[in-house]
This record gives sequence, C-alpha cells and structure tokens, in this order.
Amino acid sequence: MERARVALAQVRDALRFARATLAAAAFDRFLWRLAWRNVWRNPRRTGIVVTAVAVGIAGVILSMAINFGMVLQMVETAISTELGHVQVRARGFRDDPGLGLRLDDGGRAGAAILESLPQVEAWAPRIHSQGLLSSTRASAGVRVLAIDPPRESGITSLAGSITEGAYLDGDARRILVGEALAERLHVGVGGKLVLSASDANGDLAAEAFRVAGLFRTASLELDRTTVYLRLPEAQELLALGDAVSELVAVTERREAIPAVREALATRLVGDVEVSTWRELAPLLVYMVDSFEQMAWIVYAAVFIAMAFGIANVLLMAVFERTREIGVVRSIGMSAPRVVAAVVLESLCLTLFGLLVGFALAVGLVFSLRDGIDLTAFARGLNALGVGTTVVPIVRAQDFTTPTVVATVTAILSSLWPALRAARALPARALRHV
Amino acid sequence: MAILEAHAVSKVYETRGVATRALDRVDLTLEEGEFTVLHGPSGCGKTTLLNLLGALDDPSEGRVTLDGRDLAECSAAERSELRLHKLGFVFQAYNLIPVFTARENVEFVMELQGVPSAERKARTDAILAEVGLAELAEKRPLEMSGGQQQRVAVARAIVGRPELVLADEPTANLDSATAGQLLDLMEELNREHGVTFLFSTHDPLVIGKARRRVRLRDGRVESDGPGA
Repeated sequence: MERARVALAQVRDALRFARATLAAAAFDRFLWRLAWRNVWRNPRRTGIVVTAVAVGIAGVILSMAINFGMVLQMVETAISTELGHVQVRARGFRDDPGLGLRLDDGGRAGAAILESLPQVEAWAPRIHSQGLLSSTRASAGVRVLAIDPPRESGITSLAGSITEGAYLDGDARRILVGEALAERLHVGVGGKLVLSASDANGDLAAEAFRVAGLFRTASLELDRTTVYLRLPEAQELLALGDAVSELVAVTERREAIPAVREALATRLVGDVEVSTWRELAPLLVYMVDSFEQMAWIVYAAVFIAMAFGIANVLLMAVFERTREIGVVRSIGMSAPRVVAAVVLESLCLTLFGLLVGFALAVGLVFSLRDGIDLTAFARGLNALGVGTTVVPIVRAQDFTTPTVVATVTAILSSLWPALRAARALPARALRHV
Repeated sequence: MAILEAHAVSKVYETRGVATRALDRVDLTLEEGEFTVLHGPSGCGKTTLLNLLGALDDPSEGRVTLDGRDLAECSAAERSELRLHKLGFVFQAYNLIPVFTARENVEFVMELQGVPSAERKARTDAILAEVGLAELAEKRPLEMSGGQQQRVAVARAIVGRPELVLADEPTANLDSATAGQLLDLMEELNREHGVTFLFSTHDPLVIGKARRRVRLRDGRVESDGPGA
C-alpha cells in the first residue's frame, strides 16, 4: 500500500515536471532565444548535424517521390493499358476467363447504364480469348483482345502506343502486335499472320490477318503476349454472335469509382459481376499498400540514426556547458526549464536541418521534373509495368510525416541529455572545469 | 532581523571511501543589510559554506534556514524558487551566459521571475546605468572586459531584488583598480538599496571594506567580529 502511494506520488511529480517543461518550452521566448543561439555556439558541429539531417530528409523524400512515381505509373499503366476503373463481366469470368462465360446481350444492358451515369468518361466492350499466332517463320501462344477501336481509345492508351504502322482503321482483317512479339515472330507492319483459336463451340477456327501496327507499352508482358483485333472479326472467328466478354469503363475521377460500381451492381440483372481495378489487380493493390509500409521502415531507419546523432551532439553540448548549467540553476532556473532549454535546442537543430532538407528535396525533385531515365533497368521495370522514365512525385505527406517524426525524434533524443543536465547538482556543476 | 541562519552546519565530502570534513559545526546568522565577508586561507571551507547558505548543496549535518524556512524541508523546485526570489549570486569567473547580451543576461533573471516585459526593460535599463554599463547593454560577454563582465554579474545578481547576495571571490580575477570600483558599487547598493551582501574572499581589499568579518579555519569559525 505504502509502495503504491510512493509510486503514485512519483507519477504525480513526473507529470507536474512534464507540464512545467511543456509550459516553459511553449511560452518562454527567452528559452527559445537561448536554444537558437546555443545551436550556433559550435557552428562546425551544428553544420555537420544539420547536413546529416538535411541529407537524410532529402534522401528519404526523394526516394519516396521516386517510389511513389513508380507505383503510380504501375497503377496508371495497369489502368490505361487494360483494366480501366470498372469492369462488367459474366459471373465467374475472373476465375475462368473462357468464351463460355460472356455477356450474351453484347453488353447492351451494362452499356445503357454506363451511358446514363455522368461520372463515366468512356466505356468499351471487349472479347478475351487465347490463340496461336503464326508467321511463316515462328509461332507463339497469345492472348487475344478484341476491341471496338474508337471506344477503346477512350479507355486505354493503346492508340498512343503505336510505334510503327497504324491503329486499327477501316481495313478488314488487321491486327495489332507488340514490338516484342513481332520480333519473336519475325514480322513487321503489313506482314501476314494466322490466328488459330477454339471458338465458342469448341471447334478450331483460324483466320489470316495483316499487321496494321506495332505497339510498345510500359508493360513488357503485354507487349510480348497480347494482340488486338476488331470486335466483329473476333465475334465471327470465335462464333460468338454479338456476345462480348466484358465492358470496361473509366470514370472522370477515381473518387467516382465506388458510385459507378454501386450503380452497375444494383441495376444490372442476371449472372454478372461488377469489379473495380483494385479487385481485379490485388497484387497491384498489395504493392501500393506495401509502398506505404516501406515508407515507414525507411523513416524509422533514417530517424533512428538521426536520433543517435542528435543525442550525441546534445550530450557533448551539455557536458561542455555543465558549469553554465550550474550557474543558471544557481540563479533560480528550475529543472523543468533546463530540460525545456535542451529540448528546444534539439528542436531548433532538427527543424533547421529539416527545412534545409526540404529545400534540398524540392530542388532535387524540381530538377528531375522531366523524369529519371532508367533505360539501363528497362527489362526489369517493364516487367513491373513501369516505363523507363520515372517522374518523382512528392505529396504533402512527404513533408508532413517527416516533420512530425522529426519533431518526436528531436524531443525523444534530447530527453536523456536534458534530464542529465537538470539532475546536475548546482554546487557540483559550478565546480566543473 | 535575521534573513539567514546556519545552525551547527557540517559538510563531509567522500572521495573513494575517504571522508574529508570541509565544514565542522558552523553557526552563522546574517541580519538584513549586512556587508559581511567570510575569509580565511584556501581550503578553509568558504565556498562550501556559501554553497550551503545559497541552497546549492546540502549539509551533512546541521540546518540552514533562509527567511525562516528550513532548506532541508524544501523540495528541489522550492529551492529553485528561493534562489530565484531571495538570493543573488556573483561568481569568481563572472559566469555570464555567453550567447546573451549584457541586457539579456540581466533580464533573464526577471524573465524567470515572471516580471512583465515593460517592467523588465525599465529595471534593466536602470540597473545597467547604475553599474555604469548603459553603453554596453547590447554587447555580449566576450566583447567586454573582466571588470565590465563582473559588473553585469552584479547587476544580474541584484536586479531580481534579492534579500541576500552571495559573492564567491568576486574580485579574484580583477586588477585592484577594477576590484576597488566594483566594491564601491556593491557598497553603494548595500547602503542605498539595503541589499545584504555576503562575500567569500581572501582579497584584503574586500576584507578591508566589510563591516563584519567572519574568519574560517579548517572548516570552523575562528573569529566573528566587526570590520571597517
């Protein structure tokens, strides 16, 4: 009982001490002035710490900006090359993407709803299939995407990815092939290819096509495996009538996706399912989420190292000023004020480093505004759906998070030296040489 | 009226198991308005006694009362408050805050006391003029001579209107002319403002000016009598 009472009294004293320290730190402009000037008593040492903090912060912000730029590009690539924002498909198509699961009405019910929604910017029908594409010299298994070319232009950036030849125009029996696949099949624009596939009845069907154009996207996987042809020709080849595999829509803003999804899911009848890009690409969503977690790991690593540096500098400063601390304690400066003075010095040091770091980061990001050329890593990046030029993107949280974390780091790392300073007996401190 | 009393105060320092008695059952009473000197050979316990009287250290035995309050019964925070409001200190090595100007060094005490800004400024101007440093108010300690720094230290010690100023070897680092001027200043403050001074020194100049002389030897009061 007695022990508990003593412990309670100690906690109460500690809280009173903390409150007095906070009050001094918040309202005592003399302490702020003292802290700021103390920071500059040893300019070389301060310069080293400020440089370390600034370089650390700038490095963190830049790496976050580059990583975010890459992640964003991956998402944008996935959305703009295939996924769109919302898709309507026959139920079960995601797990078994064959011709057996299709929208037999040609997607007209879904299209009518999409047309009525003001948030929808564009929509397009597609057919998904598999086939064997053969040239005179080689063959390759391919993913066949049949599209409505004008509508598809509103959904994906395929038309803009054509590097040679033309987008699917009015000519019949034309096909778009990725550069990587064309190279493998030894075929160029105007070359002849035969596409063989199982039709909706399970019979083998084949048709000859001429290469209308070659494309290159940020996704190497897409360029290697996917071919595009026009919807009616695929419907005829695959004996689908006017059925399609899916409807893809993009919204004006990402925030509108849930509303569009909800409208489709509520109003569509029959065995269909409506999915957003997040549901269709869980791996991508996982990577985006992992990026946020990785950011915290980077912050933790940088700020823990920073905390030791700051604590070391402050310990040195407190040791050097032992006699001075004795003097201010003698003239009546309370222990909470001494703690506040050291903590404020740490805050001044860290926040100054932070500002320099922000300026450095802004300068670096600005100088890289046209993107970083990562051609040397093209294969790896393309496999991830990232182009060879990555534009760093900074967000408000890239500045607010380090500010909060740095402030907490500055306070925590200064507590030990600060309490050491406050605990010094004035008489003993005055004897310090 | 007694503002400070020491009753049978002893101080024993222990270093690596070896006990050294720096003070041995010292009794001392200081009345308001006194101009007293503690003197004696080096190591006789002058600074130790000053530290105990100034609530900077705890006695091993005995008791010190300041303004009727037993210091042993005061918490660390209460002692800080006592030092802030009742005591002023002048040290041998000036010990000004080097990053503050003369004005800021003086104002700092009043800032700690919570004196309003306008009053702080007025009192700082007045005290700096009184110690003859009005022109050097914006100078930092390193831009001033030793004598000037010690004047700032005196101004800092008395600006908070303490009842007692404890001065530990205040003239030790000064030439005799500067030391004389500083002592004249403190004597004037004592006479005109009633500030009580207690010096520890072996400077004959200070001893000669004191109206009461307490001589310590081997940690004990050897003599206590009137001075000049």
